[in-house]
Amino acid sequence: MDLHILDHRLRVTSIAKKGLVDFTHPLIKLIFLRNRTRCKFFSLTETPENYTVVLDEEGFKELQPSEHLQVESSIWLPLNVVSNGNTSCSSQAVGVTKIAKSVIAPLAEQHVSVFMLSTYQTDFILVKEKDLSVVISTLEEEFNIFKEEGGESVPVHSQEVSNGLQKNGKEDIHPTVHPVLIPLNHFCVMSLDPDTLPAIATTLIDVLFYSSSHKDEGQSSSSESLDCIKFFSFSLIDGYISLVMDTEAQRRFPADLLFTSSSGELWRMVRIGGQPLGFDECGIVAQISQPLADSDISAYYISTFSFDHVLVPEEDIVSVTEMLRHQRKEAAAEF
Amino acid sequence: MSGSKPDILWSPHHPDRYVICDSELGLYRIGPSSGAEETTATLLAINSDTPYMKCVAWYPKHEPECLLAVGQANGRVVLTSLGQTHSSACKELVGKEFVPKHARQCNTLAWNPVDSNLLAAGLDKHRADFSVLIWDVSSRMALDSGASANEKLRLSLAEADSGSVVTKPLYELGQNDACLSLCWLLRDSKLLLAGMHRNLAIFDLRNTSQKTFVNTKAIQGVSVDPHFHDRVASYYEGQLAIWDLRKFEKPVLTLTEQPKPLTKVAWCPTRTGLLATLTRDTNIIRLYDMQHTPTPIGDETEPTIIERSVQPCDGQIGSFAWHPSSQNRMVVVSATNRVMTDFTVFERISLAWSSTSSLMWACGRHLYDCAEDSGGGEGSAERDIATKMRQRAGSGYGHDTVQLWRNHLLAGGDDPQLKSLVFLPMMVTHMKLCAEDLELKIQGNKQSLVYSGIKNIVKTSATESRRSWSGSEWQTDVPRFHSDERCLALRLCGWISRGSDIDVETFLRSLEQEGEWERAAAVALFNLDIRRAIQILNTGASTAKGELNLNVVAMALSGYSDEKVCLWREMCSSLRLQLNNSYLCIMFAFLTSEPGAYDGVLFESSVAVRDRVAFACMFLNDVQLPRYIDKLTNEMKGAGNLEGVLLTGLTNDGVDLMESYVDRTGDVQTASFCMLKGSPVDVLKDPRVQCWIENYRNLLDAWRFWHKRAEFDIHRGKLDPSSKPLAQVFVSCNFCGKSISYSGAAVPHQGRGFSQYGVGGSPTKSKVTSCPGCRKPLPRCALCLMNMGTPVSHCPGTGRSEEKVDLTRENKLAQFNNWFTWCHNCRHGGHAGHMLSWFRDHTECPVSACTCRCMQLDTTGNLLPADSS
Repeated sequence: MDLHILDHRLRVTSIAKKGLVDFTHPLIKLIFLRNRTRCKFFSLTETPENYTVVLDEEGFKELQPSEHLQVESSIWLPLNVVSNGNTSCSSQAVGVTKIAKSVIAPLAEQHVSVFMLSTYQTDFILVKEKDLSVVISTLEEEFNIFKEEGGESVPVHSQEVSNGLQKNGKEDIHPTVHPVLIPLNHFCVMSLDPDTLPAIATTLIDVLFYSSSHKDEGQSSSSESLDCIKFFSFSLIDGYISLVMDTEAQRRFPADLLFTSSSGELWRMVRIGGQPLGFDECGIVAQISQPLADSDISAYYISTFSFDHVLVPEEDIVSVTEMLRHQRKEAAAEF
Repeated sequence: MSGSKPDILWSPHHPDRYVICDSELGLYRIGPSSGAEETTATLLAINSDTPYMKCVAWYPKHEPECLLAVGQANGRVVLTSLGQTHSSACKELVGKEFVPKHARQCNTLAWNPVDSNLLAAGLDKHRADFSVLIWDVSSRMALDSGASANEKLRLSLAEADSGSVVTKPLYELGQNDACLSLCWLLRDSKLLLAGMHRNLAIFDLRNTSQKTFVNTKAIQGVSVDPHFHDRVASYYEGQLAIWDLRKFEKPVLTLTEQPKPLTKVAWCPTRTGLLATLTRDTNIIRLYDMQHTPTPIGDETEPTIIERSVQPCDGQIGSFAWHPSSQNRMVVVSATNRVMTDFTVFERISLAWSSTSSLMWACGRHLYDCAEDSGGGEGSAERDIATKMRQRAGSGYGHDTVQLWRNHLLAGGDDPQLKSLVFLPMMVTHMKLCAEDLELKIQGNKQSLVYSGIKNIVKTSATESRRSWSGSEWQTDVPRFHSDERCLALRLCGWISRGSDIDVETFLRSLEQEGEWERAAAVALFNLDIRRAIQILNTGASTAKGELNLNVVAMALSGYSDEKVCLWREMCSSLRLQLNNSYLCIMFAFLTSEPGAYDGVLFESSVAVRDRVAFACMFLNDVQLPRYIDKLTNEMKGAGNLEGVLLTGLTNDGVDLMESYVDRTGDVQTASFCMLKGSPVDVLKDPRVQCWIENYRNLLDAWRFWHKRAEFDIHRGKLDPSSKPLAQVFVSCNFCGKSISYSGAAVPHQGRGFSQYGVGGSPTKSKVTSCPGCRKPLPRCALCLMNMGTPVSHCPGTGRSEEKVDLTRENKLAQFNNWFTWCHNCRHGGHAGHMLSWFRDHTECPVSACTCRCMQLDTTGNLLPADSS
């Protein structure tokens, strides 16, 4: 297995809903005018709380400072696991599940906070730049680690021999078990030929920026409050587009342009966190992905500024719910 | 290909059909149009059933024809057809769809050239899916049993029912990666080369868990050279890389980066090693010719390539495709509005001169041999200098050191300049003799004077004397100048012979004998003997073939009077210019000139230099003469006229003159010989002279005139002892390690040792068959088993005694058969004669159990000298 440290330096930001109007211009530029910007990594996720924007430094320049813009102070580096085809993966489980044991759990043990971003094409594990040496020394046993520089992959080895101590220097505490929310909407994960992006531009703008106005009109307000939550994610990373939306939003797009699996699978969401999670706590992803991996359930994991979101196949949501309840009980019993 | 950018595919089996695909597929037939050279393309069919086309591949087999696989933006691969389809096989296949589990763009398609039911598709990456899918187009199962019921339900019913949708690929390769280009390897139909996101990978269908891969950026447009199955091209942006699959770790070659990204790279199917590339927004196609690329050996060998570009049309090129069978032909389609150009890349012409003046040039599959026209004496003067030199070398030009004057005849005798050189050796001989005469008078460097020309001789002052016309009644005296040096100069010019005799009569007679009447008359006149001149002209008129003109000239001549102003003088000075013969012309010029103002004579360029110089020596004073000589010398040097050697001698001035002669003619042969003939050592050391000599030797070698070369070297060694090479081969004893050639003679001489051992046939000399140092026997000849030093046993057929009589000692010494020779590889050897006859019938070494192919190791060993003498 190869682990690639990609050649992007990312910032994680959040735009408050009411401040969106200040940022429509840069956002539209970053989404639709690919050749007008040098941004190579862009992800926009709308949650009921805010818009989470993850983008590289080139893209970050486009965002004007504003009272509505919250920026996480660290530089984040995306990691990507490449199976290299040598290992024939028998398990059907994909995404976070596949890397849960090999990457996420070891990093959680080393108290490295991770920010996950799953897309149609792949899963990105974002780590803080300052944690990089810990990441490398933790993972170099399992992986051939490469750093991508200007398109070339350069092998990387840890600088100093670790002395066995916890590198982040924190006490080994039991992770908090966060409350979860399981909304009722069904989600689909899709992709799009970048060349046909203009064809869905108006729909996309409508869904991204005017969703709240729809809600305000109150057409679907009956089921909105708790059962369904607004969640829409668009990412344009290295020329690949990935979209996560619920079935309601999907119906507004022309069917023949969006790509998805031939089986047309649908996903249910588990939102983690009652309070905003912050960026320093570690082990949150591990907490969820570990049991999913144990049960061989595939998943997408999308972290946002406030909460984490896991997408699991709809047929597995019952067992996942059961599993999470069991986990809460265990945690409660320990105290 | 999406949107406006078109692509072209030639039908693999119909040489006149191709498909252009942009937003739709258009089938064209190309054929000759009414115009002689033009071709026209006719649109046969259009297919617009498949939207969102990303890539197209043409079914490689004959039947069904016109079956195309189209890869779409959503990853589905559809089989479609163009034009009428009759065959049932085709009907069955058309409309079939191959659907990947997760939709994403299909980047590339490739049919397996052998198992034509295998179709490889390369897709963009998906987090959980494979990007290289190999579909079996003959597969009948719409949904295999492995698909879950759930999935079945979700597929639209119509699709499932028709039985035309295949969702289960035969092979799935390249997990979690994007595939951007694909091609099947020609060396084994089970191998698939894929350009993945960060590497080039070779998948083996017999063992799909294994792959060979190399990390690189150049992963686009992988394509195998159809003529060299291990050679693969791929590109990234503007950079093109050539790979050798046998040495896959890094590119064999990375070509110069283009500023714009490449869009298509294609090997020419009709010409080995020709690669065409196209970049974005351009109107040229760049060609890389790897024709002469040697197979890469070792790490650092970068094969040479020839790069050139062609411009098939004015507008920007959208795409191009090589014709599958027509040589170097391609069709180019413009970036916009489908303008097509039928274009044939003109073959690079390569040209080679042979050493024997014939010319070979190759263009495409044609080879032209252009030999010089050897017919007709007329043309021979116009022949290339190399041909002339070769002929002259063949006839022994320059080698006749005894009768120097014959060299001119050996050269063919038709070059006036070379003729003038005849006097050169004569001059040197003269100079040597004269120098002895003069030695007492001129306390100078004798050696340098010997080789210097008239220019250096005539610097001393002369006494003026006035001489009257002999045999006439005129009283006017003409001023003439005398000195010993001038006399010497006249001798060098050939007017008077050596010794005290200063009469020109001998010279006149010889001229009369050769029929040079005009010249003889002029010389007589310049010696102020007008009657003799008239007599010569009369004789000439009566003996020569109808040259009545001479009588008229004689008549005019006899009308001369010494009056300064008269009609005769006036008429002569104007009419003389109409005379054809320049000697006649200068005669009148002389008669009509004032004393001391003889420009009409001195600057008549068609008069031989030596005659003009001799004239100048007689009639110019001490101020005029050196000035004239200098002027003439510079003129000769500038023109590279060998006649000027008379003036410059074989000094550094002479080298300058020879240099401009060589520049003009390329005749290094003459230059080499002249410079060797008489030049003092410091002139021979001139790098230019050394260059001529070396080049002449190389030329002789190239002509395989090895004997001539050897003769030249011997000749050169005699004239320039410093050029003799030192001994290059020494023979040492196997036992004691001492040189056997040195111990024989107290003072070793170059080349002596070998003759001693090689011959031994000389009855007076004791045979040396053992090492003089340790008395151990010398090596034996592998064939006759005699020790080295024993002569070759004579053939039984010829009488021994008779032969002995025939051979002079010198001949025996040179007898090559007796030489000892051995192979540098296996170290076996023997008498040269034995070895030669052995290898005439055998390829391997005569020593049993030795398999060395000695003779083949010697690249020139099988060549025969062209001048065997």
